[in-house]
Formats: sequence, C-alpha cells, structure tokens
Amino acid sequence: MAIQPIRGGSLSEAEVTTAPRVAWPAPAERSESPLVQGLRRLRRSGTALVGVVIVVLLVTVAIFADVLAPQSPIASDQAHTFARPSWDHPLGTDQLGRDMLSRVIHGTRISLLVGVSSVLLALFVGVPFGMIAGFYGGRVDTLIMRVMDLILAFPIYLLAIILMVMFTPTAGLIGTMKVTGAIAIVRIPIYARLVRGSVLSIKEKEYVEACRALGVRDPWILFRHVLPNCLAPIIVTTTLGIATSIIVEATLSFLGLGTQPPTPSWGWDLKANISFIQANAWLSLFPGLAIFVTVLGFNLFGDGLRDALDPRLK
Amino acid sequence: MRVYVLRRLLGIVPTVLMITFVVFVMMRSVPGDPVVALLGDAYDEQDAIKVRASYGLDQPILVQYAIWLGKLARGDWGVSYMTGRPVLKDVLVRLPVTLELIVLSMAVALAIAVPAAIIGALRQNTWADYTATTIAMIGVSIPEFFIGVLLLLVFSIGLGGLLPSSGWTYLPGTCPTMVCGASLWGNAQHVLLPAIALGVGRAAILTRLLRASMLEVIRTEYVTTARAKGLSERPVVLKHALKNALIPTVTVMGLQVGFLIGGAIVVETLFAMPGLGTFGIDAIIARDYQQVQGFALLTALAFVVMNLVVDLTYTFLDPRIRYA
Repeated sequence: MAIQPIRGGSLSEAEVTTAPRVAWPAPAERSESPLVQGLRRLRRSGTALVGVVIVVLLVTVAIFADVLAPQSPIASDQAHTFARPSWDHPLGTDQLGRDMLSRVIHGTRISLLVGVSSVLLALFVGVPFGMIAGFYGGRVDTLIMRVMDLILAFPIYLLAIILMVMFTPTAGLIGTMKVTGAIAIVRIPIYARLVRGSVLSIKEKEYVEACRALGVRDPWILFRHVLPNCLAPIIVTTTLGIATSIIVEATLSFLGLGTQPPTPSWGWDLKANISFIQANAWLSLFPGLAIFVTVLGFNLFGDGLRDALDPRLK
Repeated sequence: MRVYVLRRLLGIVPTVLMITFVVFVMMRSVPGDPVVALLGDAYDEQDAIKVRASYGLDQPILVQYAIWLGKLARGDWGVSYMTGRPVLKDVLVRLPVTLELIVLSMAVALAIAVPAAIIGALRQNTWADYTATTIAMIGVSIPEFFIGVLLLLVFSIGLGGLLPSSGWTYLPGTCPTMVCGASLWGNAQHVLLPAIALGVGRAAILTRLLRASMLEVIRTEYVTTARAKGLSERPVVLKHALKNALIPTVTVMGLQVGFLIGGAIVVETLFAMPGLGTFGIDAIIARDYQQVQGFALLTALAFVVMNLVVDLTYTFLDPRIRYA
C-alpha cells in the first residue's frame, strides 16, 4: 500500500506555494482612506466631471488671460463704440469701444481670484477657530461662537455691503483684495460652525483618547488626528462656497461696490451695460453668461464631491 | 407654547440691538464725513461745526447710539440728513413694495418647486426627474440680476414692451402721495418680472432640498403603511410624505432670508423699484446714518422674526415637536 499524504492536516510543499494564504496571512495591504475611495467614486460621476472640466477651463483662461484676450480689456476705441459682434470683436464692443471678449476673458481672473481666495481666507480663519472651540469647549467655545453668531446674525448682504462701503471700493489688486476680505469675513462663521460640530463628535472617539493616554500634545492631536477626520464636509462646503462667493462678488460688483473700473469685472460690466440694453442686448448678456457658467461649474463639481465623499447625503 | 413664543420674542431684542449697534459703529468708521457731503460747495468750518452739533454728530459714538435708542423708544426713527424727511415715514412708504415683492417671489418659488420636487422624487431617475434636477441646478447657478436681465430682454424688449422694464405702480391704498396712479393691473404688470427674477433662484434651491428629503421620506415605513392600508396616492404624497419632507426644507429656507434681502436689493436696483432695498443701498452709499439705521433696524427685525416663524412652523409640520 502506497503511502498517501495526509489530507487536511498538514500541507505538502506544492500546496504551500499555490495557496500561501491558508497557512499565514498575506502582508496586509494598506486600506484605502475614505478620501481616496471618495475620489474614486467622483471619477465615475458624469456631472461632476463636467464641473471639473468647466473649472479647469476657467482656471486656464484666467491664467493665460493676457495671451488669450485678443485686445486689451481697458483700451477704449472711440471710433468703434457699440460694435455688433463681428470677426474683429466676437462679442462686440461697449460704450467706450472696449472689446467685450477681452473684458469677459479678463473678468475670469477677478471672479476666480475673489471666489477662491475669499473662501480660502475664511477657511484659514474659520477652521482653526472651530477646532479650538469644539476641542476645548467651555469659555473658549462660548467666546468664539458668540462672535461667530454675531456675524451670522447679520443678513449676509447687509454686512458685505457695509463692509465694502467701509473699505471704500477701488480698482486693481487692492480693490480685489478688499472684496475678498469683505466676503471672507461674512463666510468665516460657516466654516467655524461646521468644523466645531465635527470636532465635538470626533474628540470623543477612542483614537483621540488613545492619543491622550500616550501623552500626545494637543496641537498634534488636532492637526494629525482630528482635522483629517472632518476633512470631507470641509472640502464639499469649500467647493460649493466658491460658487456662492462668486455670486456674492458679482452681486457686490453689480451694486457698484466690487472691484472698480477700469478693472474688468463681470457684475460691473453687466450693470454698466443695462442702460444700453434696448439697442445692445448682447453687452449685458455675455458677462451674465460668464458668471452663470462659472458658478455652474463649481456647483456641479461640489455636488459631485458631496455625493462621492458623503454617500449618506445622496 | 405661549411662554416659548414670549421668550423668543424677548430674545429678539438683544439680537436687534446688537445688529443695529454694530451697523452704527461700522457706518461711523466709514471714511468721509456726511456733513461735508451735505454742505457740498457751501462748506465752511463754522457751519460744519453747527450742523454736526445739531445732529449730535459731535458726541462720542456710544452717546450717539444711546440718543438714537432713546428716540427710537419714543417712536422717533430720526430724520434723514440728506432729505430732511423722517426716516420712519420713508421706510413705511417703501416697506409694502418690498413685502409684496418678497411674498410674491416666495409664491413663485413654491409654485415651481413643490410640483417639481414631487415629480422628481416620485419618478426618481426618469426623464422627468433629470429635467427637474437639471433645471434646478441651472437655477441655483444664475444670479438674480442675470435672470432679471434675461426677463427684461424677453418680455420688455423682445415682445414689444409687453411688461414694463422699470418703475412702479402702487397697489390701491399704499400710495404715498396725494396724486399717484394706483391700480391693481398696473401694479401686477410692474411686480411680475421682479417677483419671477427673485423667485426662480429660491425655487431652484427649494426643489433640490425638497426632492432630496422627499426621496428619504417616501422610503420610510409609515409611507409604506399608508399605502398598504389602501390609501390613494394623493393623500400619501401630500399628507404623509410632503409634510414631513418640508421640515428640513423650511430650516434652510429660514437661512435663505439673508440671501433674500440681498436679492431684493439687487432686483429692486435692476428694475428701479421704490422699495426698501433701493432705499437701503442708496442710504449706505450716501452715508445717511439715520436712514441706514432705520434700514438696518427693519432688516434685522425681519431677519429675526423670520427665523422665529420658521421655528414655529415646525410645530405645525410635526406636532411631535413641542416648545416648552
């Protein structure tokens, strides 16, 4: 009787090479973070991709505005005022003979600059305050949140308008910075509240307690362990916040309180050309369309991000 | 419940005081002197000192604010530096215009959003749903003034001046002067485009929110139960689903009031309406402190009262919510 290998109990050499996982676990792969999983989901969303494409295109236009614009956005040409759209001026010219296409292209800069930087500014102030308020609680929390509630108690536009009157709107980069500052101030509490809420629940988690038990210092806990875990809602609110900020900028500029001329700004151009809307409808149309497409891009992108990063909200 | 409302009403006072105080301080830190603007070419240092004293502008800010409050308590909202008219009178003339605009725009928003959201939620992932969500996405991305411009282009210019592009006809009974042609029809013509311009954006936000919460609600067990016991679709949707789906929506609509005030300013500016929005922005830009205070007071009141109304709506929508 031939000797049979014992089945079930031990493994022959051949079996070990084909099925190593039976005997001992394979080296554990690093599990994907929720953020990476979310971005993977984002890639599959069609509308989000449309948003990404619009945003990337706009950023490109803003960066290369000097190259893309056929003419200077502020050079007036008295001989060709109110020109209808033509090959020379694809979007026509305004009452000073300025090329509308060039103005719309350069307007992208102001719009994106204010939209993105005001949200980032609000983020850099609001997030630390929200983290501190939520993490430490007590009097610090009360003090910080009282100030935030004070800002939130204002109707957003009332505050933004008065801030802009206080800053006195001007042209150029300084003017843009003033608008950025005004919008950032009214938006700080949104991030502070959002982050505070997340931190309140995260600080009770076991891993934070474990850190404390190990003697990890507070700033390290906050930035290394708490912040990454409330990142998803921050990212979503930021993207959608850019869309809102762009609308607020356009509105302020429509009311004459944004970046002042000659710096091209969509809201201002739209308002300035309404007086001539009877005969030259296209002049107000293009800056308005530009605002719409930009806001739509960020909204689509933000919506896609939300669906991807927080599936519960879908 | 009554105690709760009373407590909330009392809570309004510090908030309104705070807002008006901050506005007071902010306006006075605006560079430039309203007295200089008021006297214009006739500016003379002696006159300026006299004018400042007569308006109390030479006092410290806190004293000025206290004086303003004291007068307010006696029903005196102050007198405009620029026009010399009492602020309260101006505000009362302009308030109905803005109220009408806001109420009608909310009506427009609801009329669009509720059906759109119900169809979107009940027929999720069909063409009807995609159409509703796409239009809503476009709606949230268009600023009010651009919708206004598009409406102007179509209805005031395109269709041969079907509707007026600017100005106002008062509702009968709200006419501020002895002679003004107040008429219902004229008023309707003037308010239609602004109300749509302001309402469409709200409708879009409302549709998105309501659709999302409807989707959640129609999957709950009580809706299944309602259907299982043989209730027809209409009461299931309107009484069981919609009412519960409205709760989160109402919260967000309350938060939208701040944006609605901004929207009113923009739409009134675009359509040259004699409402509170244009009053406020003109006053702020002209630095007419008294008018700005009146505007801030009224906006703050509207804002706070709206938030209270939102909280009270919950008890109607969900009787389980009780305020003790």
